[in-house]
Amino acid sequence: MEGSVLVIGGGIAGIQCSLDLTELGYKVFLVERTPSIGGRMAQLDKTFPTNDCSLCILAPKMVEVFRNPNIELLTYHEVKEITGAAGDFTITILKKPRYIDETKCKGCGDCATKCPKIEVPNLFDMNLGKRKSIYIPFPQAVPPVYLIDPKLCLKLTKGVCGVCEKVCEAEAIDYEQKPQDIQLNIGAIVVATGFEMPAEKLSLRWGYQYENVVSALEYERILCASGPFGGHVLRPSDHEEPEKIAFIQCAGSRDLHEGVPYCSSVCCTYTAKEAIITKEHSEKSECYVFRHDIRAYGKNFYEFTQRAQQEYGVKYYQTKISQIREDPETNDLLIHYEDLKTGEFKDFKANLVVLASPLVASRGTNELAEILGIELDQYNFFKERSYFNKLQSSKDGIFLCGFCQGPMDIPETVADASGVASQVATLLNSVKFTQIKEKEFEEPEKEVKTSEESRIGVLICHCGINIGKYVDVPDVVEEIKKLPNVVHCEANLYSCSSDSQERIKEVIKENDLNRFIVASCTPRTHETLFQVTCQEAGLNKYLFEMVNIRDQCSWVHMTEREAATEKSIDLVKMAVAKARLLKPQKEETLNIIPSALVIGGGVAGMSAALNIAEQGFETYLVETENKLGGILNYLNILSPIQEKGSIFLNEIIEKVKKNKNIKIFLESKLENIKGYIGNYDIAVGDKEKVIHDFKVGTIIVATGGKELKPNGLFQYNGKNQNVITQLELEQKLKDQNGAWLKNINRITTILCVNSRQKEGITYCSNICCATAIKNINILKEIKPELEITVLYRDLQMAKKEFEDYYRQRRKDAIFLRYDLTNIPEITRKRGARENYEIKVFDTNLQEEIEFQTDLIILSTPMIPADNLEELAKMLKVPIDKNGFFLEAHVKLRPLDFATDGIFLCGCAQWPKNIQDSISQASGAAGRASRFLSAKQIKTSGLISEVNPDKCIGCGKCVETCPYNAIELLDTKMEFEDLDLNIKQSYINSALCKGCGTCAATCPVGAISVKHYDFDQIGVMIDSYLLEKTKSLEEL
Amino acid sequence: MTKAVSQVEKEDFEPYILVFCCNWCSYAGADLAGVSRFQYPPNVRIIRVMCSGRVDPAFVLRALKNRADGVLISGCHIGDCHYISGNEYTRDRFERLYNIIIKQLGVNEKRVKLEWVSASEGKRFAKVITDFTSEIKELGPLRK
Repeated sequence: MEGSVLVIGGGIAGIQCSLDLTELGYKVFLVERTPSIGGRMAQLDKTFPTNDCSLCILAPKMVEVFRNPNIELLTYHEVKEITGAAGDFTITILKKPRYIDETKCKGCGDCATKCPKIEVPNLFDMNLGKRKSIYIPFPQAVPPVYLIDPKLCLKLTKGVCGVCEKVCEAEAIDYEQKPQDIQLNIGAIVVATGFEMPAEKLSLRWGYQYENVVSALEYERILCASGPFGGHVLRPSDHEEPEKIAFIQCAGSRDLHEGVPYCSSVCCTYTAKEAIITKEHSEKSECYVFRHDIRAYGKNFYEFTQRAQQEYGVKYYQTKISQIREDPETNDLLIHYEDLKTGEFKDFKANLVVLASPLVASRGTNELAEILGIELDQYNFFKERSYFNKLQSSKDGIFLCGFCQGPMDIPETVADASGVASQVATLLNSVKFTQIKEKEFEEPEKEVKTSEESRIGVLICHCGINIGKYVDVPDVVEEIKKLPNVVHCEANLYSCSSDSQERIKEVIKENDLNRFIVASCTPRTHETLFQVTCQEAGLNKYLFEMVNIRDQCSWVHMTEREAATEKSIDLVKMAVAKARLLKPQKEETLNIIPSALVIGGGVAGMSAALNIAEQGFETYLVETENKLGGILNYLNILSPIQEKGSIFLNEIIEKVKKNKNIKIFLESKLENIKGYIGNYDIAVGDKEKVIHDFKVGTIIVATGGKELKPNGLFQYNGKNQNVITQLELEQKLKDQNGAWLKNINRITTILCVNSRQKEGITYCSNICCATAIKNINILKEIKPELEITVLYRDLQMAKKEFEDYYRQRRKDAIFLRYDLTNIPEITRKRGARENYEIKVFDTNLQEEIEFQTDLIILSTPMIPADNLEELAKMLKVPIDKNGFFLEAHVKLRPLDFATDGIFLCGCAQWPKNIQDSISQASGAAGRASRFLSAKQIKTSGLISEVNPDKCIGCGKCVETCPYNAIELLDTKMEFEDLDLNIKQSYINSALCKGCGTCAATCPVGAISVKHYDFDQIGVMIDSYLLEKTKSLEEL
Repeated sequence: MTKAVSQVEKEDFEPYILVFCCNWCSYAGADLAGVSRFQYPPNVRIIRVMCSGRVDPAFVLRALKNRADGVLISGCHIGDCHYISGNEYTRDRFERLYNIIIKQLGVNEKRVKLEWVSASEGKRFAKVITDFTSEIKELGPLRK
């Protein structure tokens, strides 16, 4: 068995999976067929629903991959052949010639500057920009290595020119390179080949043949500051700013004629994002969204689409598009459409049209499936082994993650990537850490004495236009350059990219710097990246300081450029003042207790527990109910597989019970959680009130969700027996035979009951539509003569199977559409037999409809489980505005809490179906077992220390410390000729967390907090105020 | 007449405000305000500390001595402290600071404020800053 893994595809899925795999103890070969990793995410301008700059959150991960000694990056390589089986594959990889020696290329770009001006469209810019024949796909590419296009290069095609070879000082050009085969032995394969957006395949009615009709991915490049138009929204035909921009939803998706039967899933939300960003770019632009259903199913997505309308004035029309034509005179577009609210056919004139065209599996998927010997599904995505494990392909040892398995957004992709890593770890458990090497910094840490004069370097980031547009960056640079000890200061487009890391190292070395500052975004996401860069340049990581001029200046003072600039200057000045006093610090290692606590015994909790246990770690599973299974206990048939939920439930419970590494506590409650990553003390109370104490190294939260009971709405009041919720229906269908339907002939299902509201529950709960559709069909099977009516607002059938699932079942019912301004009215008719009168305004027909019904089924949203606040307090983790747990980062850390060592999965994070809960559970287990596998972690150098010359042994700090890290010890003090026995405080560095409460409490100032000491904070205060008030006095 | 002049002064007055934010809740709340593009007045300068419990009363005095017009200390809500109970000490210490020192110094007590802002309260962070800034504007500049 081999302790190494092949990851195919260097997008965010492959990147995340590779990083997690190395932490779990496996060597990774990351193969990417294009010249850089980054994938589609690198092409995006921003990411929904937070509008975080996409490259800014991705680039640190790309750099991490590049730096990881256990990832061998094989860009511009392709997989040719595999043999062998799970655990022992042999693969052949084709290394395509770059005509540049990547070990020599420094990425300086001299070659491209001098290369004769023959240009072709750049694929990274979706062919909207141009590149030379020697090029790098984008400035932040990883690896930062150029390559030659052999079809365009004059030297390679005609034997003339050769300029690049002459100008390349690194002597990296090699026209003689040939394709090469490489053979590798590996234990497992991960397929993460992603998607593409081939708008050119659409039929002509969508108008993609016209210049000013672009695909959404092309539009991302147009919006992007580093894109072909420098972040100005211009239309391709005349480079004029378009005034009216039309966004066309479902442009080919959900469309059998276009050969794309499924919903591409992410378009509704990214369109809201693109419209919002457009409005931010240019206030006078008008954005119109031609929508079908709104399928904004993820965390805070629906609210985001509402914000686009309410805060940004984006107009949404519910339509069907007939045709898009061009006015040849103006190159404007005429959209011919049916207004579904009025039934009228209308024309709309737009200056630019953005098509949300279908997202399909990457080109080459068929060939790769053949090479690997794995199956594809009917949509040409890779087929999962079973509904319950979408991460496993049809062949053992080959795993799937990300969009290549089916449409999904970035957080789902990231969760899957961690899940795959975890499943690989289960498969290759016996060969963990056999091929791993430790990271060593090439440059030895240089000694920096506090007595030495500080030499500070400062980098001010434009962050594309995120900072540059609202803060005068050159002005900041000029001001900072004037400060004493600032030896070097420069601006930069993206400080987080890999070329910038090289630049930082260069600047540190050239100027012999001993302190470094980056002014960009938040240290909460980017500090580690820059610290490692400093370390690589031989600088202790605590000699780095970060300033947040994006979240605290450009983004919150968008209309006050002068004030935002002045504030940025002040903040950097304060950091410079602190930097002068920074001291190098040391870190210590801490042992991790190799066991885990999983809170919640539903499907997510059980899956997570099993995964950790199968990696050989002891796992404690705590459940408040008297049985395992959570909500699945109440479910009948599962969609879309049409299989009884109890089959899977019984299987997994059996596995959990049999696993010797899992200890189950039923009807038990967490009484206390103390400690920190690697070392938690847990107290669980069982139903006999017996307390069980144990220790774990890590914790997974899988507390699930529950169905909202819509008391008081639509005649649901506990008295009316024939008004039930969807979950109550499931239970009836599961537990009873069809006899209860004997007197029922007409059924009405109401969707979006109390969800997607203006106030209260504002979100779309993701799973209700599919459940309702499933049950309609089951009811019809039991009693075919039933008349069923569905009252819906939008049908949420995202993901690959659900559109077909709905298409096959829509004949089972009549679908009437209502909206928030026309809530259906229900009255109970007089008489002993329950019977209801329903009045609804159908927005499709624009008509009020009245009918009678015998049974009403209400689809209510999933809400968080009870008593989460108490648990959240115990764990010290946050809860979001909807009451679900709040992850560390909605895009790239969906399974982590900001607190190290605690993870989450399943409906505790957000309503989701069983399949997604299981893959998230694998992911959370993977994230957790990284620590358990590592056995040790480094503690932070940010801890407190006592100055024995000052400590008077009063013990105030001992009382204050929340971690009991301080004790009073007997010690001796020399006083003239006397040896005195005294008490003094001593801080245990393994227990100290560096909060600094002791330092603020100490009456004699004997305790200092490293990196946040009295003088360091003091000079920041002075730096800001002294100068200002001085100028006041002069007035 | 004098009243009108002081009114004009107040409107032109741009106060200097220092904010201490704990890393885990309030600084994250400020980040969320940024990510959500919640706009607030540009008069504040944030100093990040790991816990509001780190904020030594001496820092507040130093700021006031240097003529900060306002000082805001912000940490996790009581019970949510990342360091279990650090913010409880902040609260207790703040009361002492408030009662004894601020009053003895003769500084208007409204100039120093303690607010809890969690990591998910971006909107609230923007509001706290907006409200505090206008309160300080109302008070006018701190004179010695």
